[in-house]
Amino acid sequence: MFKFRKKEKTIQIKMPFDGVVIPIEEVPDEVFSKKMVGDGFAILPSGDTLTVTSPCDGTLIQIFKTNHAAGICTNEGLEMIIHVGIDTVNLKGEGFTRLMEAGSKLVAGDPLIEVALSTLTAYGKATVTPVVFTEKAQVKALEVAFGEKKAGETVCTVTMKG
Amino acid sequence: MKFTIQNETGLHARPAALVVETAMAFDAAISIKKAGNAYNAKSIMSLMSAAISKGDEIEICSDDSKAVAAVVACLETLV
Repeated sequence: MFKFRKKEKTIQIKMPFDGVVIPIEEVPDEVFSKKMVGDGFAILPSGDTLTVTSPCDGTLIQIFKTNHAAGICTNEGLEMIIHVGIDTVNLKGEGFTRLMEAGSKLVAGDPLIEVALSTLTAYGKATVTPVVFTEKAQVKALEVAFGEKKAGETVCTVTMKG
Repeated sequence: MKFTIQNETGLHARPAALVVETAMAFDAAISIKKAGNAYNAKSIMSLMSAAISKGDEIEICSDDSKAVAAVVACLETLV
């Protein structure tokens, strides 16, 4: 019955790798847990080596020079950051391998970064990976499916402001 | 106003979030220039993509001098 109303854009975000989805509030870094960077969710990765893949169709805006985080814009214009581990900027790239360059067009599932989780653990860094929507003005509602998920499964549905 | 970044990890997630929070309080556009490129001080993605590191000289630009002062004050508190 709402068919003729202005359409709200909803975007489905896929799991970038296998893991357990937890609330962003449980991330042990207040920059994320207090949503300073934006609202979202976090993933506890499974396994030793991680291939971070694109959670959506869109564009790779940025891979940070230390390769520990990627900025992605969906085809609808929704911006997000995938930040692998906590405080991992201080590893200065160790343990991270870039698989895709900034500016690339992405299809959900495209590999972006390979991560040796053992390197993070060896330096005492948490491997929990926040996925946050950085433009607060874009997000109207966020629905997250918590728990264990496989790469490519839908983890979050974002309703964008019109 | 020019400013030299002093904190060890540069303008990464935490500092960028703080700068954006400060900048958002003002209506005026605020940009941070590094090496000739301008980045939007109200966008975390934009600021983080600037990869501003320790020792970098940046310039904070806005028509609102209070906004510039607030962003500089925010940058000064970073450790």
